[in-house]
Amino acid sequence: MSATVQPAIVTNAARLAGIVQAVGRRSLDVPRRRWESVLVLAVTTIVYSWFGFRVVAQQHVVSYEVLDRLNRALMIWHNNPAKLSAIGFDYPPLQTLLVSPLAIYRFGVDFLAVIPVASAFFAGLLMMFLNTMMRRTGVPAMLRIGGLAALGLNPLFALYASTGGPLMMWLAFLLASVGAVYAWYITADVRFVMIGGLGFAVAGLAGYTTLMYFLLAAIGIGAILAHLGADGDEVEGTMVGFAAPAIYVVALWTGFNLLLLKNPIHWITSAAPTSDAIEQFTVLGLLRWTGELVLYGAPLAIVVLPALFFVGLSKNNPFAVLLGLMLTLSVLTPAMTVLLGLTDSPMAMENAVPILVMSVIGALWLARSAGEGVTAISGLVVLALVASIPWTFQGMRTYKYQALEMVFTDAVLTGESQEGATTRGGQTVALDPSLEMGQFIQDLDVPEGAVLTDNAATYAVMLFSGEPELFLDRIDQSDGPWLEAARDPAASDVDWLLVTTDGDDLLTEQYSEVGFEGLTLYHENDEYRLYSVPEGFTGLTTVGS
Amino acid sequence: MTTSIHRTGSRRLTDGLESAAATLLPEGICRTFRVMPYASQDGEVLVAAADADDEITLQVVSERIDAPVVLVRHTANEIVAAIDETYPPVEDELETVEERRTRVQMAQMLTRSGLITNEQLQDAMLQHARSGDALGEILVANSAISEDILVAALSEIHQMQRVGLRDFTPDMEVARRLPEPIAQRHQVLPVADADGTLLVAVQRPMDAELLEEVEEAVQQPVRQLLANRVDLDELIQKVHGDHYSELATSFLMENAPEISAHKVFSTGQKVVGIGFLVLVAVFMVVSPMNTLIALVGLASAIYLVVSVYKFRLTLRALGTHLEIEATPEEIAALDERTLPIYTILVPLYKEGNIVKRLVRDMNALDYPRTRLDVKLLCEEDDVETIDMIKSMELPPHFHCVVVPDSLPKTKPKACNFGLQVARGKYCVIFDAEDRPDPDQLKKAIIAFRQTADNVACVQGKLNHFNQDQNLLTAWFANEYSMHFELVLPAMGAAEQPIPLGGTSNHFKTSILRELGAWDPFNVTEDADLGIRLHREGYRTAMIDSTTLEEANSSVPNWIRQRSRWNKGYYQTWLVHMRNPIGLIAKIGLKDFISFNLTMGSAYVLLMNPIFWSLTTLFVFTQASFIQALFPGLVFYVASAMLFVGNFVFIYLNLAGSLQRGEFGITRTALLSPLYWGLMSWAAWKGFLQLFTNPFYWEKTEHGLDEEEVH
Repeated sequence: MSATVQPAIVTNAARLAGIVQAVGRRSLDVPRRRWESVLVLAVTTIVYSWFGFRVVAQQHVVSYEVLDRLNRALMIWHNNPAKLSAIGFDYPPLQTLLVSPLAIYRFGVDFLAVIPVASAFFAGLLMMFLNTMMRRTGVPAMLRIGGLAALGLNPLFALYASTGGPLMMWLAFLLASVGAVYAWYITADVRFVMIGGLGFAVAGLAGYTTLMYFLLAAIGIGAILAHLGADGDEVEGTMVGFAAPAIYVVALWTGFNLLLLKNPIHWITSAAPTSDAIEQFTVLGLLRWTGELVLYGAPLAIVVLPALFFVGLSKNNPFAVLLGLMLTLSVLTPAMTVLLGLTDSPMAMENAVPILVMSVIGALWLARSAGEGVTAISGLVVLALVASIPWTFQGMRTYKYQALEMVFTDAVLTGESQEGATTRGGQTVALDPSLEMGQFIQDLDVPEGAVLTDNAATYAVMLFSGEPELFLDRIDQSDGPWLEAARDPAASDVDWLLVTTDGDDLLTEQYSEVGFEGLTLYHENDEYRLYSVPEGFTGLTTVGS
Repeated sequence: MTTSIHRTGSRRLTDGLESAAATLLPEGICRTFRVMPYASQDGEVLVAAADADDEITLQVVSERIDAPVVLVRHTANEIVAAIDETYPPVEDELETVEERRTRVQMAQMLTRSGLITNEQLQDAMLQHARSGDALGEILVANSAISEDILVAALSEIHQMQRVGLRDFTPDMEVARRLPEPIAQRHQVLPVADADGTLLVAVQRPMDAELLEEVEEAVQQPVRQLLANRVDLDELIQKVHGDHYSELATSFLMENAPEISAHKVFSTGQKVVGIGFLVLVAVFMVVSPMNTLIALVGLASAIYLVVSVYKFRLTLRALGTHLEIEATPEEIAALDERTLPIYTILVPLYKEGNIVKRLVRDMNALDYPRTRLDVKLLCEEDDVETIDMIKSMELPPHFHCVVVPDSLPKTKPKACNFGLQVARGKYCVIFDAEDRPDPDQLKKAIIAFRQTADNVACVQGKLNHFNQDQNLLTAWFANEYSMHFELVLPAMGAAEQPIPLGGTSNHFKTSILRELGAWDPFNVTEDADLGIRLHREGYRTAMIDSTTLEEANSSVPNWIRQRSRWNKGYYQTWLVHMRNPIGLIAKIGLKDFISFNLTMGSAYVLLMNPIFWSLTTLFVFTQASFIQALFPGLVFYVASAMLFVGNFVFIYLNLAGSLQRGEFGITRTALLSPLYWGLMSWAAWKGFLQLFTNPFYWEKTEHGLDEEEVH
């Protein structure tokens, strides 16, 4: 005797009854306003592109690291052979990869138009996401315009929005990710968890610090769900959905590092200082510079940070606590990277930009939490942002640890080229030698792969030549064949050797014993020397024989 | 508030009707029970009642008014006048005097003879109040009385003779005198000729107009005999079954051979296919490496565009809610009197074991049973299922439709057969094991009313009730969640050609008939029909209502089912690509691309094992010839697909489950690549079968989830 158990019908509504998040129904989100988003993106991109072109191409305020990334992007398409591996492992891969479409056509690369356009585009995305976040907050249109303008005119933000592609790219994705979590908290719509998860994964490949924010967000989402009474399945499922993308990219990137560099954590340590010349900090010193960083770069954080914790703890507002922790993370990150030995530019002023952006997000949440006071609080935020403009401008001229901040302010004040100027860190702004040597090689009409060089040192010349295929670099066929070519250039069809005048390149290192005897110095400027390889040149093949 | 008394000396209707009190009861209740709340007095609501002593009336009224109720006796005329004043009558919706008399007589006859309880009568009266349907039919649909009792009662009331048709052998010449459309539409069938008078079996007494129509059609006088609806329906099928069967098989093939899958490959396709293979063979001889690189490049490009297309669709669906929604308030506001007859087609084959569950799930639908027309479509040789259905003595809204044994023996042919005997304005297909959301039919009606006239089909979402049974069912649920929660809503919103899901597609019956319904030679007739609808300018919309199905829990059974689906996709693609230029002209370039990319996913499944093998081989051997197959751009595309594309698809599986709120199975989505292996296996099986046995229907066994207890 057997009987069949008839399962009960569970209706969709009954099935979803115990779920905390909004699934299977329309969430109460602000209506989409595509035209407004496109407008913000377009205006920001155009303004910063114009401003950036002036600053970068005409006033030569540009970071060498940015040039390196752009050269790698160019090599992805135009090297001989064209290789995806040109993106390398020294920087987060998206910093190069996402700029690479702009390098498909060489036009615009060798006269530096691409850098401001890329920076401006990602700054535009950031502004677009911020605008949407302000709409969700309930900030009136005029204050939204004021807020975006006040942030956009902040000189530190403007410097990186117009010249610093990688930072803006990372921040845009970080803001999108945090913005998705922000939207999730407001609407309870599970789709924002997924968008946030994907956003953090992308942001993670554009800036590794993202992973710390991701961890905080993951813990925050789990805790908030549990706090709201979600069951174990819902918490676990949501966590899987949120975390899977970021965990995948970390695992993938770690795998690549292991497979190709035999060091799975190279990506974490690649920015560690390579020399002992770097300044050492005491804990007290780190605290002091952290304070100055916040004071000059993002003074808004001084008010927003304690306010977030106060609102969060006193008014049962867990999202305020989460944003408070994220802001704290952004404040402590510069000091932590110093303590862990993970940065070669300690306490740099660019670290203030993420603090500034996180402060703005925190301030928006405070405004939203104020209910009917949203307009008043957002008005105060805009005023604070406006007031901080001259203050930050002055800080950029005096803060000790910086890259091109002071040079940038000089460029803004004088309107003149900064070629030859000295930064606060003692480096000289010198783009002309690279431009000149790049142009010279381009005019030489050399065959592909005829110029042997260490691309890690001469990337700017390669970039400005616009033709990376002319160079036999360390990416073409990896270091082994390159070293062989250095040993016997003629055997590798090399006609020229390009080295730096200060000798800080691998090719000069190879010839350190014998010097460049037997080679003809064909062309030279302040930064580079170009040797021609005469017939019968035996290179290093006779050394030690 | 249930405290209720009734007395005669209170304030009366003639003293005035208080507007606040007047709307305390819905119109249907007022008219059915002849009651009218008209005033509040000392905290009590005064309700005028024609029969103030009736217990059922008292209970119905008390349950619906949140205050103590006093029934005050009034004349029927006084009450009807007050009701008409409060709810101005709509001519077609009013019960006629004759109908009311029949209802009252029926109620008295059945209660006095003890055939129904007061509770059953009250329940039926309430349903009548909502839908306006005949009391007797409601009682039969609720299984309170049998159809035979109802026929006997009607025979008594209308003083009309009955006829028993259960074992009746019809005289075909007589039976076919009445044209089939009239016989089918009105359920009338000639059964004998008695001295020049045609005796016709009818389900209900015909009115004068219909009687005239029938007499005109048969050209002789007619006498009506009341018959059991179930028996009459089966007899009509027996008489006209061959005709239905012929149409079910050959209508599309004969009327639109260019879009019928009875031929797998057209001559042009054979020429192009063989030409391509010859060309590849020649190039392989001349330059094997370059030819292989070109093939790998082509495959990578197909991968890329199909993936980007699907990703774009799902991203769009993640960003917003694209299905047509009907809120609980909108559903509650539907006037049941305006609901049309809804046909439900349920193809069954060797599924007698789940008929009980099916009946339960159909009865659970929130739709007046008297307006349901459930066709249980059985194959003639499936005696077990037919016997099971007959043994259950189902009420007449269930019809056992026996499809005569002929080839091809496919689900679409059975559905075509069922469609010809369908009475509904709308029709829907459910599989035997389906558990639709109870409000799905009402949601579909709201969707049809909300959308443009060219929306001929609304597709419900499908998912599984046994997703937790094992890993395979969880993967299946992940996949369905992605497809029905993300991909199809996005396609529907973009008005792209939608390959319909196997069940829960609701149609406007007339349009479906006009199109020739399903292609009996296509083993995914649903996907094909979706494209054919689009070709004719009709559109499909998605509704936010889910039908739970049984996910295949055994791998061999799953492979059989999936191989059929893939074979059907190839068939569908081949059918509609017989004339690509014509298709572009018909549906436009954008939809042409969308169609090809949608169907292209079935071809991607064929390519997967080749690329997986190459990748695995390369990882273990670093073979240089594999590296050489992926130069420059091809390498970039292939890498992007390997590292980004694969993850994106895993994640979209996961996202679908999250979107649906099925948090418990999100983790299984992370193992989707193993599932893709099974999908490719099934795809190859289906692909090969396309050449060896194209019309063979790989039957899926259902009921594997049910737990046997001893």
